[in-house]
Amino acid sequence: MTRSCEPRRSVLKVAALATLANCRPLPHAVPAASVATRRTAMHSRPLMTLRLATAPTQNLGAGPHGTRLTFPIIGGSFEGDRLRGKVLPGGDDWVIKRSDGVLELDLRITLETADGVLIHMTFEGIRDDAAPAAPYFRTLSRFETADARYSFLNRLLAIGTGQISPDGPVHVLDEIV
Amino acid sequence: MNTRLLMTMQVELAARQTIGMVPHGTRVTAPIASGHFEGPRLRGRVLPGGGDWTLLRADGVLELDLRVTLETDDGALIHMSSFGLRHGPSEVIAALARGENVDPAMYYFRTAPRFETSHTKYAFLNRLLAVSSGDRRAAGPIYSIDEIL
Repeated sequence: MTRSCEPRRSVLKVAALATLANCRPLPHAVPAASVATRRTAMHSRPLMTLRLATAPTQNLGAGPHGTRLTFPIIGGSFEGDRLRGKVLPGGDDWVIKRSDGVLELDLRITLETADGVLIHMTFEGIRDDAAPAAPYFRTLSRFETADARYSFLNRLLAIGTGQISPDGPVHVLDEIV
Repeated sequence: MNTRLLMTMQVELAARQTIGMVPHGTRVTAPIASGHFEGPRLRGRVLPGGGDWTLLRADGVLELDLRVTLETDDGALIHMSSFGLRHGPSEVIAALARGENVDPAMYYFRTAPRFETSHTKYAFLNRLLAVSSGDRRAAGPIYSIDEIL
């Protein structure tokens, strides 16, 4: 996936397709004999960087799906070109450590933008430290908001790359365009 | 963010089941009749019996909730589920509804597949996230599925 050099809204405008074609050629809807080749191009563009502050981990122990760990979220911040603000306390990341060592993440938080809008955010994710030199920490985020200024968030999927900094988890989120 | 092609998957849909207006929107279930997938590391067929449980929201966005079983050409079964979104200009969505082929760049059709398998050869699928870009055809969608690296 490459970062788009055109905003997604332009993709949805017929008139902008010629411009997009100059950015990166897109395949046309022509049937092919094999499905082994890529049919549609994918791009991403930066959405925001999310920094979380967590309270001490709650280790609930071994359950039916693995070891259950809860990471309470007590605050944080987010910043991108189109939205910025703070993470409200009260959310959590409900994590399962599977028998194969992979952590499955299940986060729910509320964001409050600098202009006072509340946004419900969830992500699912995978954190795999089996290869210490190449840890895999990726998330898929979704959003819900009632405010028209941020309703674009209701209509997108976002992929995040996470890392654990000394101050807490940091997720760099890209919109899938 | 980097990705690489995991596979392309094409499914054929059986007759849609219109559940109708429900509390969260209009629900339509599309059973999967058959399908196939092919990529550098796995290929095979989509078993009948899965489906895409779709919900058309009040804001015009179609939420997709797909569950299928993949069978590789060497006999491994893989559980695949994905959540997705599809939306676009009303004239484009209307053309899709009429069964016309539309350039998939004209609308947003993205999903995030997850996989589960007990087969060690394909255990790498248990440890990755993926995103897909869809091309909605009258007979059923074609997904280009990328592994998130």
